[in-house]
Amino acid sequence: MGRAQNTLAFDAAKCDGCNKCLQACAQAKTGTDDIARARLQVLPAAGSFELALCLQVLPAAGSFELALCRQCGDPKCVSVCPAGALGKDADSGVIAWDGSKCVDCLLCTVGCAYAGIALDGATGHVAKCDLCDGTPACTAACPTGALSYVTTARIYNEVGDWEDLFAPGLAGCQGCNTELLMRHTLRRVGPDTVLATPPGCVPGMGSVGYNGLAGTKVPVFHPLLTNTAAMLTGIKRQYKRKGREITALAIAGDGGASDVGFQSLSGAAERGEQILFMVVDNEGYMNTGMQRSSCTPYGAWTSTTPVGRESKGKTQDAKNMPLLMVNHRCAYVATASTAYMEDLYAKLDKAIEASQTGFAYLHVYSPCTTGWRFPTEKNMEVARKAVETNFVMLWEYTPAQGLQLTRPLDDPQPVTEYLKVMGRFRHLTQEQVQHIQAKVEENRAFVEQMAQQR
Amino acid sequence: MTDQTRYLVVGSSHAAIEAIAAIRMHDPEGSLTLVTRDSHLPYSPTVLPYVVSGRSAPERVFLRSEEFFTAQHVAYRPGNALAKLDTQGNKAQLADGSEVHYEKLLLATGASPAIPPIPGIDTVPYHVLRTLDDALKLKAAIAGSRQAVVLGGGLVGMHAAENLVAAGAQVTVVEMQDQVLGGYFDACAADFIARAFVAHGANIVTGRRVVGLAPSAAGATIRLEGGDSIEADLLLVATGVKPELAYLAGSGVAVAQGICVDNAMRTNVANVWAAGDCAQAKDFYQDAITLNAILPDATEQGRIAGMAMAGDPGRRDYAGGVPLNTYHFFGQHAISVGSGVVPPGGVEQLRVDEANGRYLRAIFQDGRLLGIFGIGTFFDGGIMWQLILRRVDLSASMDRLVADPLATGREFMSRLWR
Amino acid sequence: MSAVLEKPKQKYIVCEGNEAAALAVALARPDMVSVYPITPQSSLVEHVAKLIADGRMDAEIVDAEGEHSVLSVLHGAALAGGRTYTATCGPGLAFMFEPYFRTSGMRLPIVMSIVTRDGITPQSVWGGHQDAMTVREVGWVQIYCESVQEVLDTTIMAFKIAEHHDVMLPVNICLDGNYLSYGASRITLPEQDEVDAFMGVKDVNWHAALDPLRPMAVDPLTGGATGKGPATFVRYRKGQCRGMQNALRVIAEVHDEFAQRFGRHYAPLLEEYAMEDAEFALMTLGSMSGAAKDAVDEARAAGRKVGIIKLKTFSPFPVAALVSALANVKALGVVDRSVGFRWNCGPMYQETLGALYRLGRHVPSASFIGGLAGADITVEHFHRVIEQTEALLHGPAPTEPIWINEHD
Repeated sequence: MGRAQNTLAFDAAKCDGCNKCLQACAQAKTGTDDIARARLQVLPAAGSFELALCLQVLPAAGSFELALCRQCGDPKCVSVCPAGALGKDADSGVIAWDGSKCVDCLLCTVGCAYAGIALDGATGHVAKCDLCDGTPACTAACPTGALSYVTTARIYNEVGDWEDLFAPGLAGCQGCNTELLMRHTLRRVGPDTVLATPPGCVPGMGSVGYNGLAGTKVPVFHPLLTNTAAMLTGIKRQYKRKGREITALAIAGDGGASDVGFQSLSGAAERGEQILFMVVDNEGYMNTGMQRSSCTPYGAWTSTTPVGRESKGKTQDAKNMPLLMVNHRCAYVATASTAYMEDLYAKLDKAIEASQTGFAYLHVYSPCTTGWRFPTEKNMEVARKAVETNFVMLWEYTPAQGLQLTRPLDDPQPVTEYLKVMGRFRHLTQEQVQHIQAKVEENRAFVEQMAQQR
Repeated sequence: MTDQTRYLVVGSSHAAIEAIAAIRMHDPEGSLTLVTRDSHLPYSPTVLPYVVSGRSAPERVFLRSEEFFTAQHVAYRPGNALAKLDTQGNKAQLADGSEVHYEKLLLATGASPAIPPIPGIDTVPYHVLRTLDDALKLKAAIAGSRQAVVLGGGLVGMHAAENLVAAGAQVTVVEMQDQVLGGYFDACAADFIARAFVAHGANIVTGRRVVGLAPSAAGATIRLEGGDSIEADLLLVATGVKPELAYLAGSGVAVAQGICVDNAMRTNVANVWAAGDCAQAKDFYQDAITLNAILPDATEQGRIAGMAMAGDPGRRDYAGGVPLNTYHFFGQHAISVGSGVVPPGGVEQLRVDEANGRYLRAIFQDGRLLGIFGIGTFFDGGIMWQLILRRVDLSASMDRLVADPLATGREFMSRLWR
Repeated sequence: MSAVLEKPKQKYIVCEGNEAAALAVALARPDMVSVYPITPQSSLVEHVAKLIADGRMDAEIVDAEGEHSVLSVLHGAALAGGRTYTATCGPGLAFMFEPYFRTSGMRLPIVMSIVTRDGITPQSVWGGHQDAMTVREVGWVQIYCESVQEVLDTTIMAFKIAEHHDVMLPVNICLDGNYLSYGASRITLPEQDEVDAFMGVKDVNWHAALDPLRPMAVDPLTGGATGKGPATFVRYRKGQCRGMQNALRVIAEVHDEFAQRFGRHYAPLLEEYAMEDAEFALMTLGSMSGAAKDAVDEARAAGRKVGIIKLKTFSPFPVAALVSALANVKALGVVDRSVGFRWNCGPMYQETLGALYRLGRHVPSASFIGGLAGADITVEHFHRVIEQTEALLHGPAPTEPIWINEHD
């Protein structure tokens, strides 16, 4: 069935209409500077056109849209072609045009509702984007990052071929990304795994199951909130003693890791137990009703740091768990985000490998639609904004390589871009926002300094 | 012997293969059998004029390979027409006498040339163009033709006429309506096109009937209304197509001009669907069912029928047939999307640039686009089709759409469904 | 009492109770021990660590960062099929309470010595049964030892009791802090091959396993008021209770088998000492019993018809055996080494009151509390206990407990 393919992504918010992509495309595909012949077209969008006409000014950044072949999964241009001249390549996903079969009838342009294939007047033939065989000229030319080539398809296809080891139908909140994380992680780690899911959202979704019915196809259990790393220690060591290789995997929440579970986590890390410990950090005890944890950030509303006359949200900064784990000199420590799956996957691979020799700690930021109060479809956007503002920094650490940023930002957005997309920060005063921005700067400086020590 | 199959698809062109894709999307395993009277692999009737012209190599026009059917677990049985249908027993009897017992049946048997009842027509040799074999015969004949007559000024006839011109023959197109390409373009546009033919040496006769045909030394004598006669060493009858539905006799399946279907492409008989050129389905512009034998509609109907047969909950009702066509003549492009009829209260906008061979006509009603037609003026037909289907309010943008249909259409696309 | 089949090879050593426990653990061949030090248990785990370091014991050792993790490590190891052991006491036991409670529910046959220690606060680091008594209602089998030899022998037996398929419960071997932990005596050390033969085949996670070859969800959510939850929860909980009752039989069987193989017999549930014609009796627990027996011997010599009922198995509480032992007793003095705050008496006394109800007749009785926080209960103390108990035959029973060391 369906395969994922690499694709061009367009972020209208970053496009300033400079047309460099069109120039690059026209050069690459026609050898000319005629941008009308480019196979993608940047257009003024959503009402800005009339406005721009009236005011005689160019539309502003964020008001552009794109006409471009989407390399549809069920392409109508292909199905209406009478000559068999269009076909979707199963591997690359590119809808390819075969000039030797085309009869120039233009029916494909009637089939496509997105102007993804159009007549090139100079040749008399239709022309369309072919993704430049995997190295698109347009994305390379884009100075703002508005156009990007998303190459995560490999992950989804590879992962799609592995067995989904969770039961179908986990009961997460609408829009939660944790199910994605759980399923992908377990598929990647594979069946020779013992999975610990301490109390929290993960077993709340049904990872361990109810009344004798299992939630996964691997051995799974609820440790106590406090003893995940210790129980996994016993499991992993017993199998090692018997000469059997298994992965001892925890998918834990931030509360169980940073608060009451920190002692056993720290102990196991210090002993270098061969455990892969993944923390799904939604910055609070969301499963029990959104109470504060030590990973809750300053200023955030939770049900135990409410907004009232005397105080407005949490009055302390979050504990930086991954940095604490770096100071255990674990075999591997990394931060990750589901908005950057490619990065997450690379880290997951490294963490799995590291867990065969020592303690591997993977801290994944996981926006909570319910507890953070944002629309259910915005999860990835919130996760992305956290990274784009440096509220969350993506990095990895090994004792040999030290700490390295995996997604350094040249020009981070102000933290307000992150804060404003969710309700838990809605009450913030100007002073509180300044405090958070300062904390972001301080943390950035600290992490960058650590990164430069190699 | 009787074969059992969950899905039986009759026919092998666009509607049929689109239905197979839709069925397999929802039901990868259910047994599926395709029978078709054609002995070739699936191909499109639309490509045949290009086979005749030599533009398309006949061995490279196939839309699917044998491997496709194997990979999709489809029992593919070419060269075997549907002969009789027993809808009570859910059985299809084939031309070779075998029977197939189906659970769900799709009739996508297409259409055949409509041969006009002209006196003497059965006394003269003539060509038609509906199958690949027709195309190969016509291609061979064109090579030796000096003087050809094409009956019918529709797309097939005009395409063939151009091919004959290219082959060096003296060509006459006889069309009984007052203009060529009547279903797709208005008189003005048709005149535009007809003049291109005349400029290339063809003879276009419109508004006159053929009253008789008789054998002659050259081949055939064509007698026109009013007394003139034309000699032809090659006669092509291209006066339209109609579904051939003799196999439905006694089946109980309701037939008007084609097989009557509802918005899920279901016939009046249980377990039987129909799609493509043989189906008479909802019209977008009126509360009636019409034959709309064009390619994009065939794929749309085939997809809907396949989804309905497989029980795919994602199926949506058929929005209704919209005339759509593209036409390529002597290096020029023409695109026709929608209805060319200006209704009461409708607004027609016309932009003609004789010098540059450009023509654009658009029809609106209450600010909604009904149809748009261009020659030498490219616009995105797919976007226009959506503007019509979605009944997008263009009141404030009608002038702009006509002035720059490409950019304006794309802007609406971006705003509304990108 | 069973006959001794043959005289096994004997090896004598002199050691403390903590070392005896460590040697017993080595003989039982656990896969994993997890340790964290605490007075007066520390020398026990030091001995275990040294045995492993010297290659005299083949086990994985996890030096965890606290008792909570110690027991949690063993949970994991047991679910992965390992035989497991640890030891703790007092505050350490209190700290591990969360996994401690869960151990019996998961039916993990973990063996843990409690080198008993009094509860803080008042601050103290010395012996007393307060720690073990406080957790007597948590579903562990709890067996108290009287001598160093009994510590060694019972620790070996504990694994066999815990892992018995009719029991599948964790077992505490309680040895008195200070008096047994540090008390040295000559003991007989069994041969390894004899212990191996006694222990039989190890099979500890047949019922619940975390094993990729046998994937299952261990301890999925249950209970609540709907669906299968209530019945499922009852099935699990009732199974624990049945396992405890089965343990009464299995403890006796294992003691019997041990006696046959090694020639040393201990009363498995309770010992009746000089009870044949006793008019009144004392009840004792653990190491105090030696002094009690000396006092009773002297009292018997003086013509007093006194006996002793020494409990060995405290959990499950051997109600039937106790009712039988009390059949002819007319007065009873129960000596506890800890307190029961709610009933203003010793915990063993409180439990015994329940057994007395089953007896169906009134027996005058008194609660004696002594030996707290390392205090000694001497022969002299027991003479006073005998006197005060004998007085119950004729006079009124005290409404308050009698505090043995109150005026020491």
